[in-house]
Amino acid sequence: MVVNDFDGRLKVLGALIVLVIAVLIARIGYLQIYDGEYYAGLADGNRIRLIPSMAPRGTFYDRNGQMLVTNRPGFTVSLLPLTAPISDDVIARLSALLNVPVEEIQKKIKAHSGFDPIRIKNDVGPEILTIIEEQKTAYPGVIIEVQSIRDYPYKEQGAHIFGYVSEISDEELEKRKDEGYKTGDIIGKAGLEKLYDPELRGTNGGEQVEVDVTGKPVQILGRKNPVPGCDLVLTIDQKIQAAAEKAVDEQLVKIGAKAAAAVVMNPQTGEVLALVSRPAYDPNLFAHGISSKDWKVINDNPNFPMDNKAVVGEYPPGSTFKIVTGTAALSEGKVTPEEKIFDSGHHWIIPKGNADGEALGWINFVEAMAHSDNVYFYEMGNRLGIDALERYARMFGLGEKTGINLPYESEGLVANRRYKEKVFGDDWYLSETFDAAIGQGFNLVTPLQAAMVMGEIAADGKRYKPYLVQRIVAPSGSVVKQFEPVLLSKLDVQPDIIRLVQQGLRDVTKFGTAASIFGPEFPVDIAGKTGTAENSQGKDHGWFVAYGPFVNPNIVVAVVVEQGGYGAQSAVPIGKKIIEAAFDIPDPEDTAKEEAEKKKEKETADAQAQAQTQSAQQ
Amino acid sequence: MSKRWLRRTDFNLVAATVAIIIMSLIIIGSATHINAATQERYWFVQRQGIFAILNGAVAIFLMNFDYKALQRYGNRLYILNLLMLLAVMFLGHSALGAQRWIQLGPITLQPSEFSKLIMIISLAAILEDKVGKLNNLHDLIPVALYVGLPFLLVLKQPDLGTSLVFMAIFVGMIFACGVNLRLLGGAFGVGIACLPILWHFLKDYQKMRIMVFMDPNVDPLGSGYHIIQSKIAVGSGMLLGKGLFGGTQSQLNFLPENHTDFIFAVVGEELGFIGAAFLLLLYLVLLWRGIMIARNASDTFGRLLAVGITSMWAFHVLVNVGMTTGIMPVTGIPLPFMSYGVSSLTTNIMSIAILLNIHMRKQKLLF
Repeated sequence: MVVNDFDGRLKVLGALIVLVIAVLIARIGYLQIYDGEYYAGLADGNRIRLIPSMAPRGTFYDRNGQMLVTNRPGFTVSLLPLTAPISDDVIARLSALLNVPVEEIQKKIKAHSGFDPIRIKNDVGPEILTIIEEQKTAYPGVIIEVQSIRDYPYKEQGAHIFGYVSEISDEELEKRKDEGYKTGDIIGKAGLEKLYDPELRGTNGGEQVEVDVTGKPVQILGRKNPVPGCDLVLTIDQKIQAAAEKAVDEQLVKIGAKAAAAVVMNPQTGEVLALVSRPAYDPNLFAHGISSKDWKVINDNPNFPMDNKAVVGEYPPGSTFKIVTGTAALSEGKVTPEEKIFDSGHHWIIPKGNADGEALGWINFVEAMAHSDNVYFYEMGNRLGIDALERYARMFGLGEKTGINLPYESEGLVANRRYKEKVFGDDWYLSETFDAAIGQGFNLVTPLQAAMVMGEIAADGKRYKPYLVQRIVAPSGSVVKQFEPVLLSKLDVQPDIIRLVQQGLRDVTKFGTAASIFGPEFPVDIAGKTGTAENSQGKDHGWFVAYGPFVNPNIVVAVVVEQGGYGAQSAVPIGKKIIEAAFDIPDPEDTAKEEAEKKKEKETADAQAQAQTQSAQQ
Repeated sequence: MSKRWLRRTDFNLVAATVAIIIMSLIIIGSATHINAATQERYWFVQRQGIFAILNGAVAIFLMNFDYKALQRYGNRLYILNLLMLLAVMFLGHSALGAQRWIQLGPITLQPSEFSKLIMIISLAAILEDKVGKLNNLHDLIPVALYVGLPFLLVLKQPDLGTSLVFMAIFVGMIFACGVNLRLLGGAFGVGIACLPILWHFLKDYQKMRIMVFMDPNVDPLGSGYHIIQSKIAVGSGMLLGKGLFGGTQSQLNFLPENHTDFIFAVVGEELGFIGAAFLLLLYLVLLWRGIMIARNASDTFGRLLAVGITSMWAFHVLVNVGMTTGIMPVTGIPLPFMSYGVSSLTTNIMSIAILLNIHMRKQKLLF
């Protein structure tokens, strides 16, 4: 019984096997006999070409949903590689049409292997498109590929935040082959474009196209639609960004300076609201291959337009460093808020004094801060010593990267004994402590670090990691990654001491070094600190750091103007305009202008109306 | 001795096997451009030929032993199998995203190939006393777990193709064992219900392959390319083929891996429908003999061995040819005796040796 059953099952298996073979024979019969002619045609000299289509990169939006960086369609003229060599006539005609030398086209053809198109010229105008479409027979094997080209509608604005894209280099390709990068890919080279390239690039698609002997596409055999990259929603506020850019540009023209940087942040979260660096560049130039002429202009500029000075530039902090020195002195009990120190114009141990030799007489902490008195802070340095100064500077996060999501951030430098020993092989001198106490000498900070120091005072000692991206959003609309504020550290300083420092800083815009610019009528309470950093290479660098409103601040600003001279005259006006934009305070100059324009308009309208009535009367 | 030995040989099986191997050597030669004047042009053919002869000699020598002895080693072979698969995990080197190979001197071994035959032997050994006794879950689950462990190890490599072969062997053998059909149907149901979980374990490239099978246009530049190109190769062979070395698809390298997994496309292109159908008929002979040997075997163990081996080959042929002609997803499993690969060839010739051995000792001769 069992044996019979076994045998029965084996018969079923045998029948199944016959069925399998029959199905397979039927299948090859269908492919080879029924459809054979069709496939023979396809295989004839293999008429299949791969035409990749690049995925559009993700879009950048500001915090209010305003589009900052996008893509536009561009047309690329390419040659489809054929079994027969491309005729010299066609190459000559193409060379004339595209204004590309014949040798260059031939070089590209020679260097190419495989069956995807040979790109001859990117981003051609519509007139070339029309000519090629209309005279198809004159251009066999020439195709037009539609590619999405990166578009920065605000041009230079935000260039250092966004960065730029261009074709992947050989070294990058070597390094990132495993991540799926291929020759000819467009890759982010700087800024957020570089850092978030894997998220932004999307997945390329393409078409498998059947072409005839002349290379003309006959039909599409398969298509894979490209998947767009993820979008970035930035922390940037385009309104503040635009105002900051404008303010910097106007001020640079006004005072004849060439380079500057500004950072605007929310001190309670670390969100970067605006970030400006000058001189800048237009990232659009790189999107379709920068011309050597344009590159020469950028490259020959002595002020390095490609550098993001807000995070890469290192400057002596000047008097803005007095925030650190003052906090340290109070916190270490080296001075009381009430103690008055006599400023005779010079310190009594080492004859170093105020910038213009002025003498303020007996002053306490808040007064010294407001008027940025050097003699008072030399004495604080004297009482603290360089080691305590160094400790506090590091507590504020100086001398290390802030960790902002931008490439190539600088660390800055905190003046200390070991550095001097290492670099100069020399002992530390008291005069160097004096210099360090007022932010000169070895100290170096980036504008972003300067904003961080001010932000820590504004946020009652809390140090938040600065960041530029709120969230990464997939094309489907789902959030891939959400960025939250990251608390890095908290100043180990009593709250009442921070409050004293805050007071001193408020008096800067009330009675002190920035008071003349802000004026008594300024509608928002602002705390600030000016700085003028000595520069061995030329004119002094001007600094201004500020936060507001004084109670519950949500804006912190840092501005540096390279070789701008006094901070109060170079950097403060920029800072003030940024603050006005952030708090929607109408600029008195602009209002006056607007009113004048309105008046003029009204006058002309009146005149016209009058003229009309007159002519009507006639 | 030798005369009796010859008399008892299944000549149809031997003839079909030898014919397929000869075709294989010719087609591998064509696919690896033996006609082109390069230094290594004979490398693949030489290697495959030498291993065919060596294995054939070993197979003849093995005729002296009775396959029934294998039954006693069932469990030991099972342990060896697990150890071998674990060794791949820790020592193996990966290629094309999978960790399947072990380097042994000049030879790279692919243990999952041997693993199939070992699995058949150990499974036959434990199923031997269960014929007609697989009527409920209680009976079936221990057997399923026995196969499940090596199955998961192979899946982990990851080698989806071979793990599916394990499934085919398992199903073929328990079917022959008289498993309750409702139980088998239920197991299938559960299996299909578990597919989403399995999907989760698949690597991205495997998911892509399955998606491409559903619609080759999902990825025409990647894995879809294989399917489109191999269909073109087979189809363009038409009735008579383009002649040896005449296949433009394979000679011009449009077809990837054309001497291994996609070798059937070369057969189709160069030998046409006539050649490809002839090859499939040779497989029919091979498989048919497998079933007949099972039916006539003198004991249950032998019957189960023959069924397991036949199921394995049938599944290989179906999936491989199906993949090449675009009716099955791309899973890297070779065409038995045709695809280039030393491990696969060795396993298959050893399987032939076992079949011949069973045939030699079939029931009728006992009387």
